[in-house]
Amino acid sequence: MNFSELKPSVYNYLGFRSVEPSEETDELIMSCLAQLEKAAQFNYLYKVPDTIPDFLQKKPYSDFLSGTKGVILCVTTIGAEVDRTIHRLMRTDMTKGVVFDACANAYLEAKADEFEKKLGDDLTYRFCPGYGGSSVDDLKYIFQLLRPEKIGVTLNENNFMLPAKSMAGIIGIGKNVKKSCEGCFMLPHCEYRKEGKRCYKQDKT
Amino acid sequence: MLQAGQNVIVFDGGFGSELERRGLYGIPEDLNITASEEIKEIHRAYSCADIATANTFGLNRIKYHGAFSIEQIAKQAVENARASGKKVFVDIGPTGAMMEPLGTLTFDKAYEAFAEIADITNDIADGYIVETFADLYEIKACILALKEHSDKPVYATMTFDATERTLTGSTPEIVANTLSGLGVDALGVNCSLGPKELLPVVERLLKASDKPVIVQPNRGLPILENGKTVYKLGIDEFEEYTEKMLDMGVSIIGGCCGTTPEFIQRISRFSGRKVNRPVIIPKTVINSPTVLTEIDGVKICGERLNPTGKKALKEALINENYDYLTDEAIKQQEAGADLLDVNVGLPQLDEKKVMPEVVRKIQEYTDLPLQIDSSDPAAIEAGVRNYNGIPLINSVNGEEEVMARIFPIAKKYGAVVLGLAMDKNGVPRTAEKRFEIAEKIVSRAADFGIPKHKVMIDTLVVTASAEQALVRETLEALRLVKTLGVKTALGVSNVSFGLPNRPLLNRTFLSMAMTCGLNMPIMNPLDGEMVGAVRAHAVLSGEDENSEKYIEAYKDYNSAVNSSAPAAAKKEEKTASTLYDCVKQGLKNHAEELCEKELAVNEPMYVVNEVLIKALEEVGDLYESGKLFLPQLVASAEAAKLAFAVIGKYLPKDAEPKGKVVLATVKGDVHDIGKNIVKVVLQSYGYTVIDLGKDVPVQKVVEACKEHDPVAVGLSALMTTTVKGMEETIAALRAENCKAKIFVGGAVLNAETAKKINADYYTKDALGFAKLLDELFPANK
Repeated sequence: MNFSELKPSVYNYLGFRSVEPSEETDELIMSCLAQLEKAAQFNYLYKVPDTIPDFLQKKPYSDFLSGTKGVILCVTTIGAEVDRTIHRLMRTDMTKGVVFDACANAYLEAKADEFEKKLGDDLTYRFCPGYGGSSVDDLKYIFQLLRPEKIGVTLNENNFMLPAKSMAGIIGIGKNVKKSCEGCFMLPHCEYRKEGKRCYKQDKT
Repeated sequence: MLQAGQNVIVFDGGFGSELERRGLYGIPEDLNITASEEIKEIHRAYSCADIATANTFGLNRIKYHGAFSIEQIAKQAVENARASGKKVFVDIGPTGAMMEPLGTLTFDKAYEAFAEIADITNDIADGYIVETFADLYEIKACILALKEHSDKPVYATMTFDATERTLTGSTPEIVANTLSGLGVDALGVNCSLGPKELLPVVERLLKASDKPVIVQPNRGLPILENGKTVYKLGIDEFEEYTEKMLDMGVSIIGGCCGTTPEFIQRISRFSGRKVNRPVIIPKTVINSPTVLTEIDGVKICGERLNPTGKKALKEALINENYDYLTDEAIKQQEAGADLLDVNVGLPQLDEKKVMPEVVRKIQEYTDLPLQIDSSDPAAIEAGVRNYNGIPLINSVNGEEEVMARIFPIAKKYGAVVLGLAMDKNGVPRTAEKRFEIAEKIVSRAADFGIPKHKVMIDTLVVTASAEQALVRETLEALRLVKTLGVKTALGVSNVSFGLPNRPLLNRTFLSMAMTCGLNMPIMNPLDGEMVGAVRAHAVLSGEDENSEKYIEAYKDYNSAVNSSAPAAAKKEEKTASTLYDCVKQGLKNHAEELCEKELAVNEPMYVVNEVLIKALEEVGDLYESGKLFLPQLVASAEAAKLAFAVIGKYLPKDAEPKGKVVLATVKGDVHDIGKNIVKVVLQSYGYTVIDLGKDVPVQKVVEACKEHDPVAVGLSALMTTTVKGMEETIAALRAENCKAKIFVGGAVLNAETAKKINADYYTKDALGFAKLLDELFPANK
């Protein structure tokens, strides 16, 4: 993984906006990424169900999936050791813990994007329960279908995935849609947009 | 029945794909009842295997929430599997919940869930196949439950990924050592990868224990083809790799995801073949979930978690201040310890209750294997049982009654046990007599089924001031005991009691003992000279090949400055000359020193108000205006927190310049990073924080408020689903007339939600919380 390509995304997670991060922060990010690469165990589990599961018939999933030919359900993680490292750093070196946490988010996104490129070109972005007014409670349907304990990912009674650095999503097949601000669950509270910044190339899909 | 380890046994293959092939969807366990005939059909299709796996993978009370009772399903599933006409093993998968400390599932809850299955099925099944586990602690709970609630064979497998680790980071050696220690009948790997990709894991498992090895691979890696996930590995290739694994020494073979009856039919020709397993030389090894320590050469056992003669540790244990203990553990690990001794023996404490809590806490923060140290067998068992991995037990001695109580514990949990070369007559005066006792210990251990490599001997150190002539007997006894082929230990620092310049005697004695064959000094790893002696010995004895570790430790050695203690981390480039700059720049390494300097010329409260608070205010302003970001804010808060700790020592004992704040991540929520940032920022502002942790039950928050009478309660929740838990906590606090102001925060909250759930204040970040507190309680400022 190319660390310098990851850096802008790490800055985003850390809340760097208009100001350049200091040299020390940059060094810390690089050392966290190196440590992260050793700790991380990236795993990606996916399935193409024969029929579209019921929960995807409702909005906003039905809008998201309109015009697609099928759907990929996926769960991906970078493993429990990353959670453990963050937990320990928050105790021994909180500054590093905060940076490591942001690096882990960026790393997971990048690894998942990289993996999905191998699945084909004609795919939508990964839509996660919680986006666009959907409920994280829908995660349980994905879990029933995929049984991601095979890759060590669990779902607790409040529908949190653990290890925390895990994602579950829905990808439409046969339609190329890039992620935009419109699909982001942070849209109503986005601090970046208030400053005129954007995470994605487009506002609407 | 075929004997595991002697003849090859063939298990059946993938079940999920067979269900799909027959168009059977829904909760797989329910299908045992709703589609019993079809399930029997699958079992018949797999009757070429020696063992049928009942369709019970997800059947435990934590995971299964279907239409039937667990008993109904378990019984029907076993009956369905009987259609194969073969032996039936009950399939046990993980609970699907994350264990503590990352999750909230406790060891006992996991144990109960698995014990329930065993109670229901012991009389109707022929054995258990425990599979697809990711977490070493959960599989330990499962194996113990099965061993204690059933007398049938237990085969246990975990899932590994391409990094050759389980999904929680355990290596094949760690898995093999733990599972074989727990007494499973076969151990191995299933799912996750195809047979080709699993070869390196299988090879390592075979070398790491002498237990029969079981492998149930997937049909290669899944591929997306024409909008379908498919497994492409051919039957021929599957057979080829199976044979290869059998040639390597694997005893039991089957299939997982993607394999079908055709695959099992093909490999069933290997059934009954004689297992050809290379002999392995057993080693003395202990492990945590992520670190395996072989007791060979010289390994340092950190002695600082033993309250004898340590006032601060005693107080911490009595006050349940486990942060103090975990700090000690972290310090010893960083200083170079290879394992840590844990002793909680105080007359005021119920050792049996405290030991497991302390063990879990320490394992939360260090990877090092532990030595469970107690004179109370019940405390030893509680510690060893709740320990994640294979520990060392300290200790037995030559007394028959002691051995009879401790050896069964060591045997049951697979622990290595340390034997003291003494008996009820005390420490023998001669080396020969100590050797005799050591011999007896090793031989009695064997009677209990504990092999020699799981026994270590401590030849016992006497103080040179009292019994000078006996020091050489200890050393001579080391030499003699080595002839038994066991590893040795000594509590090195005892030698110097009552004499001046103890460190000098300790390290000289350590060097003498290492030359006589000492493998495990129990010592203070924070004594850099002692650690240095161990490192130097490793060079001179040839253990540290090419002096690599030594060079790594001392490459920055400078005779003018350093002692032989290992060089500290590289010097920080940035420095600050005043406490103000230090906090502003977030340089925590200098905070204490500069604070002392500041206190030499100013009153403590002046330093608080004019230096620390001012610096934090400037940092806060920069943060709010977007000129400084979260990591820097946290670094400043951490530096200020250290300074506050120094100032605390100069303030009158009962003075609390600012009030207490109780913090908790609410029930159901396990995200605590934000709460931890709030904690450090509040501490940096001088508040005393009572941190209740994450997933905190409502009642615990209420009790903490009654006990501590805080000025404020801070509740955090990250997700919409746990705001509910927050609301309940607030309602309970209000019902108890809690006088503290209730603050809420977290990603999904805002002022409106805060009002709706009856909180007093919402602040968007840690800084806002601290500032608002200062405004609300100006008298405290």
